[in-house]
Amino acid sequence: MNMALFWQAALVGILGYLGAVDSIVMGGVAYGFYILGRPLIAGFMCGLIFEDVKAGVLCGLAVQAVFIATMHTGGTSSTEITYASYGGIGLAMATTKDPAIAVTLAIFIGQTFGLIFYNLRMAGFSYFNHRADRDIDRFNKHALIMDQVVWPQIITFLVRAVPIWAAIYFGRGAVEALLKVIPTQITSIITVLGGLLPALGIAMLMNMLIKNKLQLIYFLFGFAMIAFAKMSTIGLVFIAVLIAYIVYQISGRKGSNNSSNLSGTAKAIQTEDEYEDTDLF
Amino acid sequence: MANQDDKQKPVAQEAKPERLTKKELRSIFLRYMFLPESAMSYEKMHGAAWAVSYMPLGNKYYKNNDQAYQRLLKRHSPFYNTEPQTGQLVNGIVASLEEQIGMGNTNVSEEMPVDVKASLMGPLAGIGDSLMQGILIPTLLSIAMGLSKDGSPLGPLFYIVTYAVIITIVEVVCFKGGYKLGVSAVDKIVGESAKRLTNMFTVLGTIVIGGLAASTIALKTTVKIPFGSQTKPLETIIDGFFPGLLPLVAVLFTFWLISSKRMSANKVILILTLVATVGVLIKFL
Repeated sequence: MNMALFWQAALVGILGYLGAVDSIVMGGVAYGFYILGRPLIAGFMCGLIFEDVKAGVLCGLAVQAVFIATMHTGGTSSTEITYASYGGIGLAMATTKDPAIAVTLAIFIGQTFGLIFYNLRMAGFSYFNHRADRDIDRFNKHALIMDQVVWPQIITFLVRAVPIWAAIYFGRGAVEALLKVIPTQITSIITVLGGLLPALGIAMLMNMLIKNKLQLIYFLFGFAMIAFAKMSTIGLVFIAVLIAYIVYQISGRKGSNNSSNLSGTAKAIQTEDEYEDTDLF
Repeated sequence: MANQDDKQKPVAQEAKPERLTKKELRSIFLRYMFLPESAMSYEKMHGAAWAVSYMPLGNKYYKNNDQAYQRLLKRHSPFYNTEPQTGQLVNGIVASLEEQIGMGNTNVSEEMPVDVKASLMGPLAGIGDSLMQGILIPTLLSIAMGLSKDGSPLGPLFYIVTYAVIITIVEVVCFKGGYKLGVSAVDKIVGESAKRLTNMFTVLGTIVIGGLAASTIALKTTVKIPFGSQTKPLETIIDGFFPGLLPLVAVLFTFWLISSKRMSANKVILILTLVATVGVLIKFL
């Protein structure tokens, strides 16, 4: 029995719980999911645990590039990013420390076991919700805390930390053997899928934002600025703020036009911006 | 109505019930920060995490009134879902409403916090998710990734510090703002004049995620086209007249599946896996 690996795998598993979207310990999602759960941070943490920070960060960097546009909206997830980060990077750090392997493992784990575990948990936790409703009906405050917070978190810890620990502790040999026999076509399919995944996260966000198909023009503008004009992302944010502000100004003008029903007043109102900002009524 | 509230406050203060103390507000803030996703399920999402968050308020106002306490827990247990960090705004508004109810202000009905939550969670989720997951996080991460190109731990450390500081400020400001504004904040978020503001954030978010699509989706064809005796990769030809054509097609196709075909994310993942598999097998991707 390899005690060092046992504890290393356990630590990665615990971090895999702390960085999960449904873990409460790290200030909810604020310091957990959105900090510890990011692959770049997971790579750094796994680097510390496996005593090779540089290799860890490089693995994290490669995995982060794939999952940078991962979205978690309305309870659905485009990928299970925490299983992917800690399972994939942890397993890679325990074996080859090769960033390419980390990416392959992360996508594979995130899109299969990760999503299955996540969806089962999301469906199964209705059980605790019903218990919480019953506790309120019986006005049992102590039971409410147990059923809404304590028990669900214990289950979440088990569902998150144990599989990651097991995957790293027992998977080391299996992964090394598997990498030797796996056909190159499978790895290239996983790589292509990794490149495609951001499209899903972005489409989920578009679905929340774009109500009118004409608004796609803003999306295409942003796309063109990066793809054609080769602008940096931060530069695009500044330009987007400017355009959004102009749209805000113009939409106010249109509103006052409609209420007065006189197109001629538009120019007169133009000089009285203060009145437009505080609503006419 | 706001005027009436102001007139009633001093009266209510003279009577026994007083406003929430700083400590109690902090406790509601922290519970909402830590707990919303504690027993998350598709059926209820944040659900009764609200009830647990408002127990400090119940302990203060309804110590000797079990029925009122129970109604408080009950009205904060139905389905609720929004972006939890910027969602502190709703928590602040609800805290100010529940405080009025607890102090016995009859102008604020017990349905009001429920209505406020139901009408705010949708618009706020759209804005919050696009600001946080669509703009702030990818931007900070891409800076961090630049700092870590050679494997330096500087990038992760930069992200940890900047995001932790920014998000703490965002949560505190949202909660305090919501608490101060009370119901009047609702008009600011879903009222007629707020449509302009929402529209502004939508434009901002849509442009930035357009850029995100161009910089993150990696899809290249491996097909080579014969040019006389030589072959030229098709990808270089495409890049010549339309860089990022394949990623754009991919994201628009995925968007169409979700918005027009109303497919779930899980189904789309299966379709994308199928596309990747077929693409690799016919040697296109």
